[in-house]
Amino acid sequence: MSNYKIAWRNLWRNKRRTLITVASVFFAIFFALIMRSLQLGTYDHMFRNAIESYTGYLQIQHEDFWDNKIVDNTFSYTPELDQAIMSLENVTGTVPRFESFALASSGALTKGVLVMGVDPEKESLLSDIRGKLVKYKLNDNNIEALKNSEIPQETKKNLEIFRGNSYSSNSSLAIDFNIPDKDSSSILEIFRKYASFRNGYIKSGEPGVLIGDKLALYLKAGIGDTIVLLGQGYHGTTAAGKYRINGIVKLPAPDLDNKIVYLPYDVCQELYDAPGMLTSLAISIRENGDKKINSMIPEIRSKLDPQLKVMGWQEMNKLMINQMDADSKSGMIMIFILYLVIAFGVFGTVLMMTAERRREFGVLVAIGMQKSKLATVVTLEMILMGILGIASGIIAALPVIFYGYSHPIRFHGEMAKMYEDYGMEAIMPFLLPDMYILWQAIVVAIIVLIALVYPLRKITKMQVVDSLKA
Amino acid sequence: MKVLELKNVNKIYDGSEVHVHAVNNVTLEFQEAEFAAIVGPSGSGKTTLLNLIGGLDMPTSGKIIIDGSDLSGLKSSQLIDFRMRNIGFVFQAYNLIPVLTAKENVEFIMNLQKWSRKERDERTFELLKAVGLGDRMNSRPSKLSGGQQQRVAVARALASRPKFVLADEPTANLDSKSATTLLEIMEKLNHEEKITFIFSTHDARVVKMAHRVITLEDGSVVSDDIRE
Ligand SMILES: Nc1ncnc2c1ncn2[C@@H]1O[C@H](COP(=O)(O)OP(=O)(O)OP(=O)(O)O)[C@@H](O)[C@H]1O
Ligand SMILES: [Mg+2]
Repeated sequence: MSNYKIAWRNLWRNKRRTLITVASVFFAIFFALIMRSLQLGTYDHMFRNAIESYTGYLQIQHEDFWDNKIVDNTFSYTPELDQAIMSLENVTGTVPRFESFALASSGALTKGVLVMGVDPEKESLLSDIRGKLVKYKLNDNNIEALKNSEIPQETKKNLEIFRGNSYSSNSSLAIDFNIPDKDSSSILEIFRKYASFRNGYIKSGEPGVLIGDKLALYLKAGIGDTIVLLGQGYHGTTAAGKYRINGIVKLPAPDLDNKIVYLPYDVCQELYDAPGMLTSLAISIRENGDKKINSMIPEIRSKLDPQLKVMGWQEMNKLMINQMDADSKSGMIMIFILYLVIAFGVFGTVLMMTAERRREFGVLVAIGMQKSKLATVVTLEMILMGILGIASGIIAALPVIFYGYSHPIRFHGEMAKMYEDYGMEAIMPFLLPDMYILWQAIVVAIIVLIALVYPLRKITKMQVVDSLKA
Repeated sequence: MKVLELKNVNKIYDGSEVHVHAVNNVTLEFQEAEFAAIVGPSGSGKTTLLNLIGGLDMPTSGKIIIDGSDLSGLKSSQLIDFRMRNIGFVFQAYNLIPVLTAKENVEFIMNLQKWSRKERDERTFELLKAVGLGDRMNSRPSKLSGGQQQRVAVARALASRPKFVLADEPTANLDSKSATTLLEIMEKLNHEEKITFIFSTHDARVVKMAHRVITLEDGSVVSDDIRE
């Protein structure tokens, strides 16, 4: 009879108690993992959005630009600079940008906008603008047409909910409309037929722009319309230009979607009267771990003129990082409380178990079982119980996490508006299993081990004669 | 052959409120294959004496020598080991490990002593048959009657052929028929295995079956009769 086997049987001598204890560990692990995965997934998503559509992992800027984003704080973009950066290891490309503010008007409507001068081709290294061009649009006409089409009833029902929405990808459309994979090609074909949106793109040297979907809505402007940009140029000149809207983009971050105007950076330089100048040069890299980035910063810095500086994504997104940190702490407190509750449950079980078996422990040691062996059996019982709870919790959480990763929770209606008001995309994605799983398991394992201290002390200090009297 | 010797053994409980001389200057010898009862009124020190003999408790003074070695020289883990090898125990009740079957309970000490499977199986079967439970090998204690449980406990106590078996009121929780059966089994095994039994009891019928009766009063041996 091995220790393990005895421990296993002891575990089931009070089935209900063991099951309740295991279940409490199970639920704690399950909910902690789901909560953590959602929380970390949301952060990850936000950082990725910020990095991939806006800041990039690394940027070169004029040293004053970050604090004072005016056109005067630009630097000159020379082939030498480009070569120096490109020659560095881990660099896959440079992405020039000229970024400023302007007033945009179309017809009688005017709005402050963010003007992004980009290299139409190189920009794809960083933010995939082409991929964000609107593919489908659910305007009133298109919805009418779709309602009379052969799409399934279920999909039709959703049309009202998403009236006015634009989609830049098949997958986001499929998720909103709950289109199962097997039907997606046929249903998407119908959407393509009745709700396609034809977009153009921008080209170096040509005065065309792409504008955000929400901005287009606000300005009541569409493809082929003209917008006028008015701003302040280099050294106080007046910047003004007239551009054709070539395309509409749908950016995931609503506050950007509401104010973005993309145009070729050379056209932008012309607008602001700053030929050859850039506000930033983003650097796209192959390996993007924090350690690698931190080691690259001084390396790049050594290649630059003194009035230029290098910024990593953490520095550029400091505000967001601080917010996430605070949010993450509050999440951890929730989980801590959850664990505190189950800790008491586990302690209670252990206390009862030890009291109930006092005499049995006495008999075992009297007939010749070493205390160390008895302690091993009791330890095994607790470990088995912990493992049952932890493993079942993880196993139950994994499918949910994997599902939630591929089908992020998407809010609609009021909830979605709330998110968008905060400038966030109204989705909650999960983070795939990572160190956080290990952490939850370790914390619960520690609780179980702490609970073990009590019976182990009782066993070590046990006087056989007293225990036999019990 | 002498298996056990007590020399001027005393046990004094000296607490802040109580001062009890539970075992008072006891000197005794036990030979191989004895079947001895310890009797005496409640509080006379029977349990205390058996606990001292079994190494479960330490005497205040005096010597307990088992098979030539003095118990007082042993560390606590050595003492546990010593008990496992040399002494069988039967308690008044709740002797058995509830999650193990009758067979596994009997095997328990043989397992601790790392007997081979074959030896274990043979010995277990032989003993369970001897106590009349050859057909209940795979029953858990909760499925056995009190008398059957005590018989399994006797089988377990004998399993690894100890020098002697100590039983503190083994029949106290049994009806008189079960008590007599248990005693008959103990006597038979004592005879067959040549293992000494020392048991305490209040039961006159049980006392009658003993070959030697030691009477305690206030911790002292007041009589020690050997009968044939
Ligand atoms: N741990 C202890 N502390 C103080 N006094 C004790 C302790 N254990 C036993 N005694 C005392 O020692 C004396 C002998 O007790 P013991 O239990 O050995 O008697 P016993 O003969 O077994 O009685 P019974 O027939 O009732 O079982 C009693 O007076 C008892 O109160
Ligand atoms: Mg007693």
